[in-house]
Formats: sequence, structure tokens, C-alpha cells
Amino acid sequence: MTTPVVELSGVSKRYGDVLALDDADLRIERGELLAVVGPSGSGKSTLLHIMGTLDRPTTGTLHIDGYDVGALSDRELSVLRARAIGFVFQQFHLARGVPAIDIVADGLLYTGRSRAHRRQAAEQALHRVGLGHRMKHLPHQLSGGEQQRVAIARAVLGDPPLLMADEPTGALDSHSGETVMALLRDLNDAGTTIVVITHDRDIAASLPRQVRLKDGKIISGVRA
Amino acid sequence: MSAPPLVPARMPVADVIRVGGHGLRSRPLRVFLSALGIAIGIAAMVGVMGISASSTHELDRRLSSFGTNLLTVTAEPESHLPTTAVSMIGALPAVDTVSAVGRTGARVYRNDHIPTERTGGIVVYAARTDLPTVVGARTVAGSWLTDAYTAYPAVVLGWTAARSLAVYETGPGQLVWLGGRWFTVVGILAPNDLLTDLDYGAFVGWPVAERELGFDGYPTTVYTRPQQSAVTGVQPLLGAAANPENPGEATVSRPSEVLKAQLETRRTLNALLLGLGAVALLVGGIGVANTMVISVLERRSEIGLRRSLGATRGQIRTQFLAEALLLSLLGGAGGVALGIGITAAFAATQGWAAVVPPWAMAGGMAATLLIGGLAGFYPAVRAARLPPTEALANP
Ligand SMILES: Nc1ncnc2c1ncn2[C@@H]1O[C@H](COP(=O)(O)OP(=O)(O)OP(=O)(O)O)[C@@H](O)[C@H]1O
Ligand SMILES: [Mg+2]
Repeated sequence: MTTPVVELSGVSKRYGDVLALDDADLRIERGELLAVVGPSGSGKSTLLHIMGTLDRPTTGTLHIDGYDVGALSDRELSVLRARAIGFVFQQFHLARGVPAIDIVADGLLYTGRSRAHRRQAAEQALHRVGLGHRMKHLPHQLSGGEQQRVAIARAVLGDPPLLMADEPTGALDSHSGETVMALLRDLNDAGTTIVVITHDRDIAASLPRQVRLKDGKIISGVRA
Repeated sequence: MSAPPLVPARMPVADVIRVGGHGLRSRPLRVFLSALGIAIGIAAMVGVMGISASSTHELDRRLSSFGTNLLTVTAEPESHLPTTAVSMIGALPAVDTVSAVGRTGARVYRNDHIPTERTGGIVVYAARTDLPTVVGARTVAGSWLTDAYTAYPAVVLGWTAARSLAVYETGPGQLVWLGGRWFTVVGILAPNDLLTDLDYGAFVGWPVAERELGFDGYPTTVYTRPQQSAVTGVQPLLGAAANPENPGEATVSRPSEVLKAQLETRRTLNALLLGLGAVALLVGGIGVANTMVISVLERRSEIGLRRSLGATRGQIRTQFLAEALLLSLLGGAGGVALGIGITAAFAATQGWAAVVPPWAMAGGMAATLLIGGLAGFYPAVRAARLPPTEALANP
């Protein structure tokens, strides 16, 4: 059996008196597409930040792509993020006044690839997300759905094994949301492991696996 | 485990500059204003050093063309030196050349209609024919008084005198009304940088002055050039040699020293301006620091995004440091250009050659880098310390 992309065991995260994540165990295999659902404040974002190595667990162990995260320095975690993890956020996070192609190219900025290579990869990635005709457009010239697709192109530029999306359709209308979800499914079909936080029941129901959170506890979906 | 080691990739300098510049491009007005602070400081310092260097260059130029061994002995106003002054000074050891002028009471006008009050500050001198060789005067038009002219109504005008009389040519048709009769202008002198008095002079031959202008024949200023090594030895003897009965009545001076002293006084002013420049630079540096602190606060989500894309703390720190350095370099380059412009403009008004020492420009840029580094350091460290999740959270 191959190493799982993500493996949490007994992971807790405490913010002061708030136990945002309570003794979570989770194993995500390569190629999975799963939804993380739960009421507001249940710890979904916290879980995603920890799986994405943006934050460290208070207790418990975490393995990402075979690396024991607890044993890595901040520097090494940065490299792990550059190589193995892509992020998509609800608010897109696109730099104002920068053309789409350069925004996407920055997805490889910290991997040591040359600028020419980065831009070439960005061109391909934009084609892949259906924005081949929007290369030179600035963020404010793009629709919300298009902006999120630019953000996805940036996240998958280096073909990371793991893609994390925190409410990627949260700021979009249902049509744009469907386009974005279709894109994520395509990427998953091509082999990327994808974790999607969503409030949308229909979206969650349409994905192969759902992890349900309540008050920081994973209440269902632990096993695939 | 077979997993490869996680070593951050080195970012090429071009990428560091591009990423650092990105933050500047998105806020051009703020960047312009804070770069302006630096630019003013650097411009003040480069300008002061440029003007100082230009004036030193000018001094060297003047001294090299006129030499530093010229001494003058001048009678008190309304008095004169004895007729023996020239021969007495000429008899001093190590003195090779001596010449003299004698102030006459005559006045000179463009023509005979001009009211007598309007003299234009021109002084009519009786001059010895060897004056130019001693003082280093040359003519820009015509020639100096030769022995053949000295008995005739011929005049040589100083540069300023010629201009105020509106005389630009020499020769038979060029007449001025001098001491109540017409004199022909036979020469016009080039400006004399060392002896500016000569620029205001109208020079006639000794004999014609005595005959036509009621000149008493006494010299009022004696010019001499001792050998270079003997200048300081000869200088104290001149007063007594010129006027043995009343040595104190003659003023001995060394024009090159006077010129140097003038430039020295300017130097203290320079120190003051340099201090002001330093203060401006400090204020500019605080402006840059302020801009950077605000920039870091405003761009938390960008910092979070970059961390999520795999930027190490060091790379975030480098980005903001590069931004601060670029910002102040922008100001520094503008300041150096402005400083050169100030120097060129000032030099042009003075008729000097503009000289900006390379070390002043290099120093300006170095100061800029230092300021940018200091101003950017704390904000950059703060940016790097920001936890990624906090940076990503909506403000
Ligand atoms: N930095 C923090 N400091 C203190 N408490 C925090 C912090 N981050 C999260 N929390 C708390 O942890 C709990 C879980 O937060 P989290 O953001 O993971 O919820 P969520 O499931 O993503 O909610 P939502 O659906 O509203 O985004 C909440 O009670 C929140 O207040
Ligand atoms: Mg959330």
C-alpha cells in the first residue's frame, strides 16, 4: 500500500480556551476527493490549516506526503508547501494590477524554477482551467468564477499531490461555483488529491467522501 | 524514508528585485513621496559637495593660470606711494618683475553728452607698459599699451569697464570721452579672476596721463612677483620698501590667499548645509521606514499567500528588505541626479565648470542603501514573523 497523502493521529489544536480541533484522526489516500463539512466554528479551517502545514497541531502527529511534519523546521515546511501543497482560498488572493499569467506563474516562484519556465507552465495551467483567452487580463477584469479559476491554476501549477480549498465557491454564484467544482473534479481525475471545505450540501453530497466536523471533533468520514 | 530533503530553492536576484519592485509599483504616489524625502537629503549633500568641488576646481584653475606668487602693495585711499616704490621693490632680493598703476582723478564716458555724475564705477589708471606681464593680463581685443602709444590719447579698458561703456571693438573709430577729451580704445582686457579691480579700470600711458589728465605721477598700487620660494620672505619687506617713511600706510596683500580665504568661508557654510542634508536624509529614512511599516500592515494577506505558496520566513524578509532598498535607491538616484543638477545650475551662474566628485555620488548611493537597509529591517522582520494563518485571516 502507498503512503497516504495526509495522515493525522490524535491531532488537537487549542487557541487559548478554545479547543478548535479535538483529537482528530484522519487518513487521506492519494487521488481522493473529499469534502469537509460542518457548522460554522466547528474547526474546518483549522483542520485545513494544519493539514496544509500553515499551522502546527498543539498535540498529535501529522504526516504529509510521507514527511513527519512535527519533525520539520519552519523552513522545511515552507519547502514542503512549495512542492507538495496547493491552496485555494475563498477570497482568491490575487494581486491587484497583475496580469493573470504572472499571478499564476508566482505559483512556482519559490521552487527555484526559471521565470521562463514559470510563465510557460502558467500558460498551460490557464489553458487547463479554461482561461487560455484571459492571460493578460487583470483580476478586476475577470468575473469571480474566473478569478477563482486563476487562483486554482496558480495552486496546481507545480502539480502538487495535495490541493486544499477553503470554501472555494463561497464567494461565487451557483453557476460559477459549478464551473469551479467541475474544474476541481477534472484535476482530481488527473490524479490530484483534493480536500474541499464547503457549506454547500449539494456540493458536499456530490463528492465521493465527506468528513463531518462538530465542535472540533470528526464525527463521521474518518475511514474512506 | 526515501523522501528527498526539503531545502529551499535559492531565488535569483532578478526575481528578488521583481518581487520587491511589485510592492512599489502598486502604490506609486506613496513611493514617490517617500522616495522624495530621501532624494532631497541626498540632493542637498551631493549638491553641497558638488558646489564645493566645483569651487575648489575653479580656485585651482585660477591659481594655475595666475600663479600664487603675485603680491600687491596698495596705498591708502586718497594717498599714494612714493615714486621710488617701483625701483625699491625691484631692488629686493628674489624679485624679478615689478609694475605699477597710478590712480588718476579722471573720469571716462561713452561720449561727451553723458552727465558727469555717471561714471559707471570705472577708475582711470596710468599704467606702466609692463603691467600685463606682471599681473598676467591678456587682451580679448586689440593690444596692450606699447611704448609707442603711451604719449598719445590711447586707452585699454578692463573687461567690465568696456562692457559698461558698451565698447566691444578696438581701433581708430572706437572713442571714449576721458578726462575731457577723446581717447581711442586700443585694447580690451580679458576678465581677471585674481585681480578683479583691473576689470573696472581704464588704462592710459604714464606720460599722457601726466600731460593730459593732471596725474601727479605717483603710483598707487605696485604689483610684483617674487620667485615662488621667496614669496613669504619678500612679503613682510614690501611695506617698508614701497614707503620707507610710513611703512604702515601701504597695504600688502597676496591675492591668491585672499581668494583661498573667500572659499574657506564658504566651506563653513557648506558644513552647515551638509548637516541640513543629513537631517533631511534622516527624515527621509524615517519616511521610508513608515512606508514599509504601513506596507507590511496592508499586505498581510499577500504575506500569508506567499507563505502558502512556499516562501520561507527568510524569503519574506528579503522581499520587504529589497522593497525598502529599491525605494530608497530610487530616492538616492533621484537625489544624485538632482544634486548634479543643482551643482550644474550653480556652477553655470558662477561661470565655473561643474564638478561632482564620483565619491560624492558613490557616497550618496551608499548612504541611501544604508538608510534603506536600516529603515526596511524592522518592517521586514515583522513581516517574516507573521504566522501564515494570521496573515491569511481577513483583517
Ligand atoms: N487564531 C485563533 N485564535 C483563537 N481562536 C480561534 C483562532 N482560529 C480559530 N479559532 C476558533 O476555533 C474555532 C474553529 O474555527 P475555524 O475557523 O476552524 O471554524 P470553521 O469551521 O472554519 O468555521 P467557518 O465555517 O465559519 O469558517 C472557532 O471557535 C474559532 O473561534
Ligand atoms: Mg472556515
